Amino acid sequence: MSAASAHALPPLEEGIDQSGAPTFAARHRKLLLGSLSVGLFFAIWEAMFLVVPLNTLFISKPSLIALGLVDLIATGDLARDLAVSAVPFLYGFVAAVLVGVALGVLMGWRVRLAYALDPLMTVFYASPLVALAPLVVVLFGVGVAGKALLIFLLSVFPFIFNAAAGVRAVDPLLINVVRSLGGSEKDLYLKVIVPSVLPYIIAGARIGIGRALIGVLVAEFFAASEGIGYAIARFGDLFALDRMFACILIIMLIAVVFTEGLRWAERTAFPWRIGQ
Amino acid sequence: MRETDAIVADGAVALDGGTRAARPWESLEPSLLGAGTIALVLLVWELVPHLLTLSPGMELFFTTPTRIAATLWNMFATGEIWQPLRVSATAFALGLAMAIAAGLPLGILLGRSPTLDALFDPFVTALNATPRLVFLPLFLLWFGLGLWSKVLIVFVGALFPILINTYEGVRNADKVLINVVRSFGAREWDIARLVMVPNALPYIVAGLRLAIGRAVLGVVVAEFFGSQEGLGVMMVRAASSYHVDIVFAGVVVFAALSLAMTSVVKMIEKRLSGWRPRHANDGGGR
Repeated sequence: MSAASAHALPPLEEGIDQSGAPTFAARHRKLLLGSLSVGLFFAIWEAMFLVVPLNTLFISKPSLIALGLVDLIATGDLARDLAVSAVPFLYGFVAAVLVGVALGVLMGWRVRLAYALDPLMTVFYASPLVALAPLVVVLFGVGVAGKALLIFLLSVFPFIFNAAAGVRAVDPLLINVVRSLGGSEKDLYLKVIVPSVLPYIIAGARIGIGRALIGVLVAEFFAASEGIGYAIARFGDLFALDRMFACILIIMLIAVVFTEGLRWAERTAFPWRIGQ
Repeated sequence: MRETDAIVADGAVALDGGTRAARPWESLEPSLLGAGTIALVLLVWELVPHLLTLSPGMELFFTTPTRIAATLWNMFATGEIWQPLRVSATAFALGLAMAIAAGLPLGILLGRSPTLDALFDPFVTALNATPRLVFLPLFLLWFGLGLWSKVLIVFVGALFPILINTYEGVRNADKVLINVVRSFGAREWDIARLVMVPNALPYIVAGLRLAIGRAVLGVVVAEFFGSQEGLGVMMVRAASSYHVDIVFAGVVVFAALSLAMTSVVKMIEKRLSGWRPRHANDGGGR
């Protein structure tokens, strides 16, 4: 126990230290350096074409990609593909949240249930469920149902495991404190359990989102005729690298916005976890 | 702040570490219950065709555990599995080895140097958040339908869990220990060797386990779309000719591969962290 807290405490203090007095300058510096390196990256990429005669069939450059992106947005192709991909994503992911959190909380709460289900879930989580994609596609087609199912299968397990870990991490001491100070069952849930579990669930959501995006891409690479994943594969086949890179960048942007958004939510909603 | 990527791995650890056996039944209970559930699921699955009459269409897509086992046995008996397995395993091993070789030093470096961290952070964040799969069409274009597109997908997938967990472990190293070692005249290399790596080990192991999962995923997916041989190719072909049992056999082989690798990592961790005081549920260094 003492060893554990010795491990946990220093970073906590360090975090406060860093976000104490020199925070603004420090953060500013990080942002500056970060944007500098990104800018430099694109500049070098663009400049490479001046030095080395690269074949634009195999690699594109930022200026062309930007033009391609503008083109995709102007014609509405991008919006259409994104909309097509978003529907199954939403269905699958929401189902994963509901089922995963419910099952995970139960598994965290009931030790025996955890004993019973944990190996099975681990097997599922460890086995590459993506491998079932061909079957799902054959059975359910590449419409909304097939994609949503694949997305659900891929993203449900982070929720299960994290919700269970979150419930298990509830400090028994806190429960006892609330109880001995006369807290009701409702207080127990609202003041101890939910605040303790939520950060884990959000962390699970961050992992789950990545896997859900994989689900979208796999399903659409396979046999779809529309959607953002299909767009990438098609532009690749057409050697339209500018537009392909534009789509890849859009997916990267979406992924970053989702994960960083969740991380931001984590930080603002559960500031006491920052140091952990 | 990225540490929570490691939590998923924790969930599995917490259970096997947490049992203090008083009576034999108590120590056996978890494994009995776990095995029991799996057995039950398999049994129900096996019995479905006997209890329900499946429509002819469904029948085509349905298979039972015994049939899968038989198929698996056949594939090993006839030896037809070795060739695709070797192809897949090569891509897996190469990609993972490259990811470890690049991820560990980079993680330590970024963890130690705030400047480098600031410079690389946008790229690490963006590439880590992005599903690696988007790069597959690009890799296929660049490297063709061969080994190297697969290796690269595995590499990109496995790199970031290792890099980020190493980084996180290094960052969470005890400042006091670093100062002690430093005041005894240690150089940066000694600090890395004596404080950083041992301290980051649980993180690195958690990262490795995530990386293994992602690497397997990478092999499968890369072979689905951009390969001519390998287990993934075998599975896609089987699916399109309705040999569902082969698809499942492939899933089993991949799962076995990742479980075997994960337990090897666990064993290595046990060997390397035998000195560490044991506290059951503190897997991720919380």
